[in-house]
Amino acid sequence: MMETAKALALGFLFGWSLNKAGLTHYARIVNVYRLRDMTVMRFMLTALVVGAFAIQAGVDLGFASGAPVPPTSMLANVVGGAVFGVGMATAGLCPGTIVAEAGEGRLDAWVAGLSGLVVGAIAFGLMQPVIMPSLARVGALGRVTVASLSGATPWLVLLVFGQLVALTLVLIARVGERPARPERSPNAGPPSLRY
Amino acid sequence: MLGSLPVRPRLFLIAAVVLGATSRPAYAQCTSNASSCVTCHETQGLRPVLQSVLPWHVDHGFGDLCASCHAGDPASATKELAHRGLRHPLVDPSVSCVGCHTDDATARAQRYRAALASATPPPAPPAPPPRPPQAAASPGADRALAALAALLTLALYVVIRRELPGEARSWTSRLRARAWSPYAAGALLGLVVAFSEVVCGRPLAASGAFDKLAAYPGRWLFPSSQYYGHVMQPGITWQVWLVVGVLAGSFASSRLSGEARWRWLPDTQWRSRFGDGRRARLALAFLGGVLVQVGAGIAGGCTSGLAISGGAALAPGAFLFMAGMFAGGIPTAWLWYRGRGDA
Repeated sequence: MMETAKALALGFLFGWSLNKAGLTHYARIVNVYRLRDMTVMRFMLTALVVGAFAIQAGVDLGFASGAPVPPTSMLANVVGGAVFGVGMATAGLCPGTIVAEAGEGRLDAWVAGLSGLVVGAIAFGLMQPVIMPSLARVGALGRVTVASLSGATPWLVLLVFGQLVALTLVLIARVGERPARPERSPNAGPPSLRY
Repeated sequence: MLGSLPVRPRLFLIAAVVLGATSRPAYAQCTSNASSCVTCHETQGLRPVLQSVLPWHVDHGFGDLCASCHAGDPASATKELAHRGLRHPLVDPSVSCVGCHTDDATARAQRYRAALASATPPPAPPAPPPRPPQAAASPGADRALAALAALLTLALYVVIRRELPGEARSWTSRLRARAWSPYAAGALLGLVVAFSEVVCGRPLAASGAFDKLAAYPGRWLFPSSQYYGHVMQPGITWQVWLVVGVLAGSFASSRLSGEARWRWLPDTQWRSRFGDGRRARLALAFLGGVLVQVGAGIAGGCTSGLAISGGAALAPGAFLFMAGMFAGGIPTAWLWYRGRGDA
């Protein structure tokens, strides 16, 4: 009961942040892959850095003995990511944002997006016994992190990670975005937030 | 640090030394496709059995079948929970083996009994290395400092807030805003991810919920499927409630900003590329939904469960997944928009 309430509350804030960041808009997501609007990357990378520092702090302060770490299987991660990217650039959505779009009243997400997720899950279920045993074995490192893999001090890894992300964000702002529309006035600043 | 481990420390101590002494025990992740048995014993290599000289694991190694014979809870995250109700399969084959070998469980088990009798006992595990010397940990002091840091950050914010861009707005106008700075929204999501991982011990994942929900029709449509028989059980899990929360949060946010309304097409850019028809949007949204869920299944998570939650835990797989996303997405977007640069 308590766990369900926590899940609902965390999901609520998750959906709230997706909506406030504008990730419920087709164009916002597709334009990442057209290298025109890096809002999604700003949102994701900020979440990554804040999350990484907060998780390490929470663990070191003794609130948990460790955080869940997804397994790394290099080939499966890359191949799955590529299939995922094709779908995301085709429809301008991903599993989390389909739900957030549905919450905004988008009927395409209700009718086609959600049913696509269910059909995709069943399609993967049928493929899984055939493809995953061989695919998941290539470059399987288990549930490792950069710190556990390298033996470095976690806080130093975080420092470097934070700096890399900060550098990436600054470079994205400088060179990463081509203008969204040619008729936009040249001094209009970064691509419009109005969607 | 190592003294406070929640599970029998010896195995983890060995693993921790192997991994460089800084690692912490990892929980099984809900969106993972493998059972926690396979994840810890095989993938993590804590106690691999598939290469064993004894025949039963080799004979049954074609699938993720551990729990069919050994019982326990393959969906549980921690060793204590996963090993609850564990059984020795050969003690009573009429219970352990009869799930698959309905007619001849006892006869088949006889072969394994013979192998067990002739097998030599496995060598004793190496003695754990002495625990490294460690200053007495003082989480009390750490927590006091962390609270002070949070307080000082807040004080700093209050002092300089008037000089920050866009600070003139009130809190209610911020709740009603159509969009936040992506950095602000991202920081909120980062804190949510950390709370989910540290306090709840779970990744903030969306795609896993759909695997669980799709298992209801999937199991019914494909009753003989190995995946639905042994790997994916349906259920209204924590992740499903999380997704319900996402729906509510997005509704509340867009309702407050006046953006919530029923509509079939994206607001911008779609029409200039694909026209006003609903059919094209429904077709592509469906296709995209299928592809992202299949991709998430292969990769072991989606943008939230793998890229953000896993990336915040600094798992290399999360960054490989993001590289794959761009490798697949950039050519796809180019194909959809080639020759239509202004759309």
